[in-house]
Amino acid sequence: MKNFDSIFAAYLIGWGVFFVFYLTIAKRSSDLRAEVERLKTALGQKK
Amino acid sequence: MSKRILLGTVAVLLVIASAYANFYIAPLERTMGALQKIFYFHAASAWAGMDAFFVCFICNLLYVWKRKPSYDWVAVSAAEVGLAFTTVVLITGPIWAKPAWGIYWTWDARLTSTFVLWLLYVSYLLLRSLIEEPDRRALLSSIFGIFAYLDVPLVYGSIRWWRTQHPQPVIMGGPGSGLEPTMAKVFFFSVLAMHVLMIFLIRERYLLEQTSSEVELLQREAEAT
Amino acid sequence: MSRLSNTTVLLGKELRTEFRSRELLTTSAVFILVVLIMFSFAINPTAEESRAFGPGLLWLAILFAASLMLQPCFLREQTNDTLSSLRLAVSDPFAIFLAKLIANTCFLLLTELLMLPLFAVFYNIPVLPQFPLLLLILFLGSLGVSTAGTALSAISAQARMRELLLPLLLLPILTPILVVSAIVTVKLLDRDPVVEWKGIGFLAVFDVVFLTALWLFGEYLLEE
Repeated sequence: MKNFDSIFAAYLIGWGVFFVFYLTIAKRSSDLRAEVERLKTALGQKK
Repeated sequence: MSKRILLGTVAVLLVIASAYANFYIAPLERTMGALQKIFYFHAASAWAGMDAFFVCFICNLLYVWKRKPSYDWVAVSAAEVGLAFTTVVLITGPIWAKPAWGIYWTWDARLTSTFVLWLLYVSYLLLRSLIEEPDRRALLSSIFGIFAYLDVPLVYGSIRWWRTQHPQPVIMGGPGSGLEPTMAKVFFFSVLAMHVLMIFLIRERYLLEQTSSEVELLQREAEAT
Repeated sequence: MSRLSNTTVLLGKELRTEFRSRELLTTSAVFILVVLIMFSFAINPTAEESRAFGPGLLWLAILFAASLMLQPCFLREQTNDTLSSLRLAVSDPFAIFLAKLIANTCFLLLTELLMLPLFAVFYNIPVLPQFPLLLLILFLGSLGVSTAGTALSAISAQARMRELLLPLLLLPILTPILVVSAIVTVKLLDRDPVVEWKGIGFLAVFDVVFLTALWLFGEYLLEE
């Protein structure tokens, strides 16, 4: 197929951007949820 | 949790399905051959990006009017998602243009406006990162967001009427321009897939923002006790 | 007090403050000059190129100068916390903005007029024959720059890194002004001058859009 490199690059980079974007959201999300748990138990202990 | 997984799965399946349709259902284009397949991905991303920025604009207006933090959360989510889609547009465009027309870039109305749009929302996010206090950040960035969105048609008009004079290759023909029926159907399926992906990503980012706010609240409570 | 009288009083204050020291005017004028000269060093234009590129470079220099000149607009108020007193004294926030943007337009226009003779000499472009229309274009463009710039100056004054932030916010927004002003000025100062009324109309539309936006949302920028 002519221009296969270009097509491949376009779709790969395109999906790559969305994938990386989603991964950063997911990672920060799980970090924050761990933080919420930590804070909740810390507050629970103080009370 | 299950609603999120459902939406995410549907989004991914639709994207994969639309890619399949792009390559195996849509007929081969006469002049450019397989290279034209990039068009479905590229133009559908462009539409989804523009709609994400529109969502951001509406939320900016709603926040200034109602001052509910959730509007600001949707706004920043929509802006980031719109930026992701626009980045894809700006990357896939030149990849398509070089083999097709021999040049990576040209300063025609659509390309230039897309680039300025990208710059404006990068500035929007940068502005947000430089204001600490959440309510102030929300208000000031909402007003900048409104100014930016009002500016976009002016940018497009100025370039279209005063810079698109010398003969330029039509880098991407509009979706309606002589698209054969099967191609049109495949294209609109791609647009649908991209929009579902957009909604999924905005929702995920929104939940992140919501959790972040919860953390701030708990931290303040912890400091108070 | 009515909006008009509020604005007039505030405008008087803005103008008096500046004309006492004239520091904004002089530094902006010299800045435009420096930028124009550096363009010549960078591009080394022929006579024809000067005529074709000169006006565009002039507008670029104006935009750069404006993004620096507009910094003190609200920062000055912050240092002595005069903004809250202003808001108490004047119930209408838009009057504050109106005064500042009219003052900024005047300062910008004055700076441009100061630089115009030097521009004509360095770039070999006669400006006198078309002076009235050139003045109109400079006015409409400067008004647009000032309107957007005053609003964004209020925003960036409340953020960190404001010196770098204001140009970053302002210059993309002013793209339409740069594009249209440059072309209209080039055509006006050409050997066979052409008056691009559509462009002049477009500049006016830009000004109206941003004035309206500032009128609708300005008060929120000054909230405590």
